[in-house]
Amino acid sequence: MSLNKIEAARGWRIRSTQDLAAGLFMIALAGLALFLSRDLATGTLRQIGPGMLPKAFAWICAGLGALLAFNSLRYHGEKLAGWSWRGVLFVLGAAVVFGLTIRGFEIGPLKVPQLGMLVSGPLVVLISGLAAEDVRLKELVIFAIAMTTGCALLFKYALGLPIPLAPWLLGI
Amino acid sequence: MTEMFANLSLGFGVALTLKNIALCFTGCLVGTLIGVLPGVGPIATIAMLLPITFGLDPVGALIMLAGIYYGAQYGGSTTAILVNIPGEATAVVTTLDGHQMAKQGRAGVALGTAAIGSFVAGCFATLIIAALGAPLTKLALLFGPAEYFSLMVMGLCFAVVLARGSILKAFCMIMLGLLLSTVGTDLETGQERMTFGFPPLSDGIDFAVLAMGVFGFAEVLRNLENPETRDVVRTKIGRLLPSWEDIKQSIAPCLRGTFIGGTLGILPGNGAVLGPFASYTIEKKLAKDPSRFGRGAIEGVAGPESANNAGAQTAFIPLLTLGIPPNAVMALMVGAMTIHGIIPGPQVMTKNPDLFWGMIASMWIGNLMLLIINLPLVGVWVKLLQVPYRLMFPAILIFCSIGIYSVNNQPVDVAFTALFGLFGYLLIKLGFEPAPMLLGFVLGKLMEEKLRQALIISRGSFMTFIERPISAGLLLVAVAILVIALLPSMSKKREEVFTE
Amino acid sequence: MKKLALSLAAALALALPAQAQSKYPERPITMIVPFAAGGPTDIIARIVSENMSKTLGQQIVVENVAGAGGTTGITRAVTAAPDGYTIAMGHLGTFSAAPATYPGLKYDPINGMTTIGLAGGTPILIVAKKAFAPKDLKEFVTYVKANADKVNEAHAGVGSVSWTTCTLLKGQLGVPKLNSVAYRGTGPALNDLVSGQVDFMCDQIVSVAEQIKAGTIKAYAVASAARSPALPDVPTTKEAGLPEYQIEAWNGIAAPKGLPKEAVDKLVDALDKALNDETVKKRLLDLGTVLPTKEERTPAGFAALIKRDADKLSPVLSAAPKQ
Repeated sequence: MSLNKIEAARGWRIRSTQDLAAGLFMIALAGLALFLSRDLATGTLRQIGPGMLPKAFAWICAGLGALLAFNSLRYHGEKLAGWSWRGVLFVLGAAVVFGLTIRGFEIGPLKVPQLGMLVSGPLVVLISGLAAEDVRLKELVIFAIAMTTGCALLFKYALGLPIPLAPWLLGI
Repeated sequence: MTEMFANLSLGFGVALTLKNIALCFTGCLVGTLIGVLPGVGPIATIAMLLPITFGLDPVGALIMLAGIYYGAQYGGSTTAILVNIPGEATAVVTTLDGHQMAKQGRAGVALGTAAIGSFVAGCFATLIIAALGAPLTKLALLFGPAEYFSLMVMGLCFAVVLARGSILKAFCMIMLGLLLSTVGTDLETGQERMTFGFPPLSDGIDFAVLAMGVFGFAEVLRNLENPETRDVVRTKIGRLLPSWEDIKQSIAPCLRGTFIGGTLGILPGNGAVLGPFASYTIEKKLAKDPSRFGRGAIEGVAGPESANNAGAQTAFIPLLTLGIPPNAVMALMVGAMTIHGIIPGPQVMTKNPDLFWGMIASMWIGNLMLLIINLPLVGVWVKLLQVPYRLMFPAILIFCSIGIYSVNNQPVDVAFTALFGLFGYLLIKLGFEPAPMLLGFVLGKLMEEKLRQALIISRGSFMTFIERPISAGLLLVAVAILVIALLPSMSKKREEVFTE
Repeated sequence: MKKLALSLAAALALALPAQAQSKYPERPITMIVPFAAGGPTDIIARIVSENMSKTLGQQIVVENVAGAGGTTGITRAVTAAPDGYTIAMGHLGTFSAAPATYPGLKYDPINGMTTIGLAGGTPILIVAKKAFAPKDLKEFVTYVKANADKVNEAHAGVGSVSWTTCTLLKGQLGVPKLNSVAYRGTGPALNDLVSGQVDFMCDQIVSVAEQIKAGTIKAYAVASAARSPALPDVPTTKEAGLPEYQIEAWNGIAAPKGLPKEAVDKLVDALDKALNDETVKKRLLDLGTVLPTKEERTPAGFAALIKRDADKLSPVLSAAPKQ
């Protein structure tokens, strides 16, 4: 403990923001799980109820999270790094758009018909492609068309998967 | 022994007709293709191809469908190595070192090792099935709920060894995986658990959705952030095939993996899923320098890949000898056999010897074909890595989206995958590794089910896990793994503290 | 954005005339199977739909939409547009038991859909591990009633056919609280029955017939009116002394409510032709399926069957201790 004494003498302070955040994250998730499973019966060992294991796992998660947060005050570790919203927005947004348009959806007043892969496919490629810093629009458009054609041939015809192509145009 | 060769020669007689070889080749080719495509699993494809096989005789049809299955198992590793997306639970381990090798410009070596390892495993597995298939089924019947629970506990201990960094964080991930596995309708009471009342969640979280989110999508986000790491993959292209040195390093892991994977594959409760994890654990523990693992150790590809392939083959044993499918793909094979008028049961081996031995012989032929198909493809795959990343990731995205959609034909699954992508990105930022979480997730469902079954049958007595010898043995192994894993890291942690 | 707007306009423009035309079917039909591929319902759907495609002159594409005991897939099918291009193959559970099992069900099998016809009935058997003490059904009934705390029943999860039919059995025997061990699917449950970890279960003939023939498990009775040709030695519940236990796990086709008569007629006709086809017949009989009668192949006959079994099951299922 020779070297650590000097550190230790400085008392507890946040020595790893990453670990602290990770610990708090675990505790938050555990809290959410405990809240969601509050009405589930725990049961007995003889007849374990639906709530016993979720609650047990959640408590352990919370415990481990607390330990992690506590350790972040004692040991040095990584710092929390920045967050790239551009990637999150375009990449994940693209996937969500695909999910919403492939068979259509209805959320309240918002209504999108079943557009099928011939529309959803290019949308995914175009939207997600915008996430790259070195995006070239013309190339991306050509690529989107080529990829969609390829995927239609591959998934619909070669593998015969029941995925709608363009029900509004082709009826399939 | 003579009987075994008589049986095998009967099998090869069936499998080596021109038509059956062609069907086997088609199956392997289609299997490789769907295995490579992220998300599209063998289940959707076999289901779609079922009507096509109506016109074939049962043996030919099943040879082709089996080819799709193990072809897909193999193809899945390609995606795991190249783009860090495990299509199935068994490929999770391959991402750890395989993708690292790809990043170091050794994608070709990793793919080659996987292909050769799988082939070797396939050869041995064929022999194991032929020699011991029938007696080994008794093993399956020895495993009740209590034994399975203990096996799962042992599996979770493997996850601790998987971790590269902090053990505490690995524990966190395992527990989180277990917690996620409890989402969905409770099996015994039908109550919804932690679903936010949202119907698509009532069957729980799909493995493909979770894995593709936390591995595939999160990896894309990570790469977009660090342009330098992704370009390494592009600029460096090493040799295409493993060198003699690589092969020498892989032989022992490959044989151990075959043994482990082959044994676990026989268990009807989908024990095959543990194979690669167990193999990785053992290789890491046996290695002179365990710190290489997770940084592109070739043993970390050779062992698990062999275990995976051996398990994929021995998984046919419970199906063919007991008539009980060990996993969803095998359940589909039951359907395929049934449609062809062969209802799987304990009598298939005696009633349809040509089918039984023909399929086993075709597995060996199939493995040879996978090697023939895949070795030349290695060059193509490695070339694909040279596609500029700004085009590569939209391609990954469209493949993943279509693939996930096709798993259950549920559009909302794609949106969920995006959500888990965000979750995975958050985990990366917090310094967590997703692999232990996936193992926890995969084992969690089975573990809860088996725990509850065992305790209902034992009327609430925990002694059942200790009184039953196999269960007690497995728990002892679990404790041993944990002790071995924790001791050095505890002392290491202390060292780190000292040198602060 | 422009592209999206254009395609929206095109979708609207094309959707209208498509409905006005009368030459059904002019494009592939989707048959939703609300279970995983390879299961009993999926197999029947694939055998029947393949032949129906020939009659209709359009491919019927089977789409597996599994989830929540089959109710996810049926919900999607019967809430689709009533144009005849989305139909579903459901079973006893999704059409008769679901309203009682799932209180929040989003469809009404009695009034909220168009029935097409029954595709096949699957007999239910009461099976037990080889070493289980009772020798026949009568002994089984007395034994279970006397040893309710010792016996373990296995089923394939809440909402499954084995759960539904066994809950009915337990209700009729007056032992609703029997120890029941839940498995994820028939396969694992059967495995533990063969190895003797659990005592008995109820399941469809296609899943258990081969095990019975091989002698790894034993069958007490088949819950149908007549013995099954696949297992001629197994008595009916009526013969063996439990006549009130009559239940079959049938599979049948339904479509969204308000289907045009033309589509209904064509589908009914295609189903009937399929069931008269020799290959289809043979394949279904191999599975132990009971071919539907003339009456059951009609929309009205199938609807009556759904109603009859719903009336039989709902009191027991609603009163079941679980759910």
